[in-house]
Amino acid sequence: MRNSSPRPSRRGVLFGGAVIAAGTVAAACTSNDEKDTSPVAQTGAAGGDNDKPGKQVTIGFSAPAADHGWIAAIAKNAQAQAKKYSDVTFRSVEPTNDINQQISAVESLISAKVGALVLLPNDGEQLNQVARKAMDAGIPVVNLDRVFPDKLSYRTWIGGDNYGMGVSAGHYVGKRLKQKGVSNPVIVEVQGIATLPLTQERSKGFADALKSYGYTVTAKQDAKFTVETGNQVASNLLQAHKKIDALWNHDDDQGVGVLAAIKQSGRKEFFMVGGAGSANAMREIKAGGGVLEATVTYPPTMAASAVRLARLIAQGKGMADLVELQVPQSVTLASETVTKDNVDRYMPLGFES
Amino acid sequence: MTDAGVGEREGAGVPVAKDAAGGPRWRLCGSDGGARGVGEVHHIGLVAALVLLAVVGLVTEPDNFATSGNIVGILALAATIGVITVGQTFVIIGGGIDLSVGAVMALASVWATTVATQSYGPGVMALCAVLVGTGAGVLSGLLISYGRLVPFIATLAMLVAARGLAQRMSDRRTQLVRPENDAIEKLSTTKVLGLPLVVYIFAAVAVAGWVLLNRTTFGRRTFAVGGNPEAARLAGIDVRRHTLLLYALSGFCCGIAAIIIMARTTTGSSTHGDLYELDAIAAVIIGGTLLTGGRGTVAGSILGVLVFTLITNLFILNGLQTSDQLIAKGVIIVIAVLLQRRGLRSPT
Amino acid sequence: MGPSEPSPLLRMRGIVKRFPGVRALDGVDLDVQAGEVHCLLGQNGAGKSTLIKVLAGAHQPDAGEIAIGGEPVRFAGPTAAMRAGVATIYQELDLVDGLSVAENIFLGHEKATLGFTRRGDAERAARELLGRLGHGEIPPRREAGRLPAAGKQVVSMARALSHDARIIVMDEPSAALAHDEVANLFRIIRELTAAGVAVVYISHRLEEIREIGDRVTVLKDGRTVAVGLPASTPTDDIVALMTGRDVEYVFPERPEAGDGPEVLRVEGLALPGAFEDVSFSVRAGEIVGLAGLVGSGRSEILETVYGARRPARGRVLVDGRPVRPGDTGAAVRHGMGMAPEERKSQALLMNETVAGNVTVAGMRRYAAFGWLNRRRELADVRRQIAALDIRPPDPRRPVATLSGGNQQKVVLARWLLDDADLRVLILDEPTRGVDVGARAELYAVIRELAGRGIAVLLVSSEVPEVLGLADRVLVVREGRVVHSGDARALDEGAVLNMIMEGSAL
Repeated sequence: MRNSSPRPSRRGVLFGGAVIAAGTVAAACTSNDEKDTSPVAQTGAAGGDNDKPGKQVTIGFSAPAADHGWIAAIAKNAQAQAKKYSDVTFRSVEPTNDINQQISAVESLISAKVGALVLLPNDGEQLNQVARKAMDAGIPVVNLDRVFPDKLSYRTWIGGDNYGMGVSAGHYVGKRLKQKGVSNPVIVEVQGIATLPLTQERSKGFADALKSYGYTVTAKQDAKFTVETGNQVASNLLQAHKKIDALWNHDDDQGVGVLAAIKQSGRKEFFMVGGAGSANAMREIKAGGGVLEATVTYPPTMAASAVRLARLIAQGKGMADLVELQVPQSVTLASETVTKDNVDRYMPLGFES
Repeated sequence: MTDAGVGEREGAGVPVAKDAAGGPRWRLCGSDGGARGVGEVHHIGLVAALVLLAVVGLVTEPDNFATSGNIVGILALAATIGVITVGQTFVIIGGGIDLSVGAVMALASVWATTVATQSYGPGVMALCAVLVGTGAGVLSGLLISYGRLVPFIATLAMLVAARGLAQRMSDRRTQLVRPENDAIEKLSTTKVLGLPLVVYIFAAVAVAGWVLLNRTTFGRRTFAVGGNPEAARLAGIDVRRHTLLLYALSGFCCGIAAIIIMARTTTGSSTHGDLYELDAIAAVIIGGTLLTGGRGTVAGSILGVLVFTLITNLFILNGLQTSDQLIAKGVIIVIAVLLQRRGLRSPT
Repeated sequence: MGPSEPSPLLRMRGIVKRFPGVRALDGVDLDVQAGEVHCLLGQNGAGKSTLIKVLAGAHQPDAGEIAIGGEPVRFAGPTAAMRAGVATIYQELDLVDGLSVAENIFLGHEKATLGFTRRGDAERAARELLGRLGHGEIPPRREAGRLPAAGKQVVSMARALSHDARIIVMDEPSAALAHDEVANLFRIIRELTAAGVAVVYISHRLEEIREIGDRVTVLKDGRTVAVGLPASTPTDDIVALMTGRDVEYVFPERPEAGDGPEVLRVEGLALPGAFEDVSFSVRAGEIVGLAGLVGSGRSEILETVYGARRPARGRVLVDGRPVRPGDTGAAVRHGMGMAPEERKSQALLMNETVAGNVTVAGMRRYAAFGWLNRRRELADVRRQIAALDIRPPDPRRPVATLSGGNQQKVVLARWLLDDADLRVLILDEPTRGVDVGARAELYAVIRELAGRGIAVLLVSSEVPEVLGLADRVLVVREGRVVHSGDARALDEGAVLNMIMEGSAL
């Protein structure tokens, strides 16, 4: 029915296989007792010559401590991907949310002379210096998601598209409302942590995409990426707006709380779009009947891809489907829209919150 | 003591005739008429703040504020932190402080939603939450009363450790309450006389707290232990055991709060209750309880919680951002405490 | 010397209680009969308060036996003592300010059913008790913190009565009371004794004791010097018992009356409610002692001279220059140093080392751009340790582990670091909590300091100390200097008569 997918999948390169493979592994080791429907077929599908064992490399990995399903999936995916290569030694340092600790953790990896570094910084600005130090020491840095301001600080950046996420959500909401023929719709947005640039980018993309349909966001309120704050903010927003047409929630983790609040209020007159693409949200979409109709992805499988890139860089290989002999400088993942129609394909990528 | 004239040092009370040989009998107090019972601290300031906030709500959002749905929503939102604040009130009146409340609630919610616990059904889940909360409280209490740790340190350690254990148990993931255990969620969705059950739980805890504080020996001794521990000891009260019980009570309240948060969010998570300790302490303080102990009321704390919840509600109704809420809360804490101090200086 | 009556209601034998550095009780005996008022006498620090805390179960004795009604008892805590029928009214009012009068009276033995308080019952019973004490006008629901001191005293007493005690201990019950309140107190005591209750009564006021007491036990330096004397024993004899000493204090020899320049001059100093019109002067090398009861205003005088309190009238001069009143900083700049009465709470940093305590006020001397020169600091401290013979002579030792006398020396050392600058040394109860044996040493140190040309102003509750150490003595009573003269011209009895005269009925 609702043939959504506003943007064709732009995922040109060989990530498809890799990403899905990693996702499968992650799903397999995370979902503790839910029935796991994901097929294992995609593993190593697009492998090619690059997957054959090459020179031994040690890949250092540092990321924030997991206080959130998405971050937890990042660490798991990276580790699972590394395990698949006999020529990769994976050195993960203690995850931390403290900037100073992360800096010293990265420093320890530098002095251990790892072959390549995969870094998801707590804060790109504040870890820029130490990443630069690694590059200066001849260690290629694969910058994951949160970007370093200085291009000399990383060899390759790979990450999601926050603006694009907002755009995807905006297009979905816009199209659905146009279909329904709603004029002056009440569109509500539950943001993540307001002070983060990524939140601001998401909101901007959302607003920009809606503008092309002639719509604006009626109200937005920030939660803190936790279930509890999502619940609290949504409860109050539902009181503030008697009638809502569409709701976009930036983050599927806090979305559990948002959905609980909606359920408790007994409201059903609107539809909801999620963000990030958790397994939970996808199951909800698949089941149907609830307000949650779609979610826009921001896949943590990027960590698996980052490990693959780091390995290729360290071994001096390029990407098989590209003509160039070296890995590109920057890779931006597309934010895809998961609906009931395509949810089965995406289910394996969903992370357990 | 001195043999100087009586009443010199004491500002309060009726002026006392000094050395009035052959004069009228001494009267150390005025008549009973003007006296008010202990604990009936005036909450006029807080009630006024609530009314003021309500007026602001009526003026700025006339259509949305005064709806029954919104009022019920506010009460349901206040339930979690409200229950925790009742326990915190006892601890603070008893001369201590409990920084671990939010973390203990998170731990209880996680423990109650593990695969193993969930397999026993909703009754065991609720029992588990209460037992975990109380257990953590007992542990803090033991460290403080028999281990002689400062409450700040002991409960800070409990905060960190409980949060860590919650993360470890949940593997840092959000644990959903499974569909077959939706009795937990029903606490939040089932309404009796228009109010969800969690609001009744909140009310029951508040009333029980009030009775315990004002109508039982336990409550009386709590004031004594917090107000003058040496006097309490000399009066034959087992101060250490009492202190232990206070922290156990706070932990018990955290367990109840964990049930409410599970009902509201349908999850157990190590991220629940982040910074609740500060909200709870702030509500207790603006409610008129002395941070040094010995004086305070449950009613004031509940009003404090409602003021904070109302502020959040008003700000969201008006589409204002979280940062502004924080500023407003800070201002309210300072004003409330300043008013309180003035109230103490000029007793009526 | 014990009484010959058979089986006293309370019998204490050989009670010993040690605190770190001090032997507070060193073998005390006490016999109290049912229905009598037994007075406990002794100077400050003689061990009265410690003794009653042992009796109340608040302290556990290190040795000795207690028997009540012939049964040996051992109190694990205050509850045990109360259960055995001992109720105590403490000198420091031990009420909980936040609780009501009725709640305070029944604290620890609340009127309750299954944990639920019966407020009505408690208030009725409280009203009855207060009425029996002649203060039916105190509302049982009034917050105790809002009562005047005398009201609190009455509530404390009601609490003791509420226990149906066989033995009631009263620690200076009249201290907070005025004239006709005391008469009321005595009426109550007589009612109690008529009902067979034994009252252990502690007071400084000898006249009171003669009026209400049946027998007297005298304590001195933690020992009983007389057990069960009749209350009619002549004042002189009692004073002699209180003052006579087993351990002869060795006071340093006085130098010939000095004619040094006048260093400290106090003119017409007044602090309403504490003292009026106080004038005196201290010369270089002279020790002047203030003698008086607790509450006579003597400590307030010291504190005002030092600038810790702001006087209403009068002024203080050092070397002829007036010192800004109410400003301890100014006092220190003029060369005054003070060793306060409450050593542990007002003077020492108990968690710090000896060195840290000595140099805390003079830290600047060892600091260059914020860096402490530890070696120079330690050297100076070592010099002071040697000069004052602080033992053990280890500057890095935590001051809390030192004995009382050595702690006091640490306080003194602080002011002596810069001895060139110190002009006036003010000592409030310098030997409080110091073992009898260690006192002589401290006296020698104080005398030696005076010998360096410092003017020393001293307060002590112990009359012999003032007489033995000071060159000149000011006797303070009820905020006035009633006598001023050469110490050699006075004896202990004379001073005791002066400071007690008029404060009795």
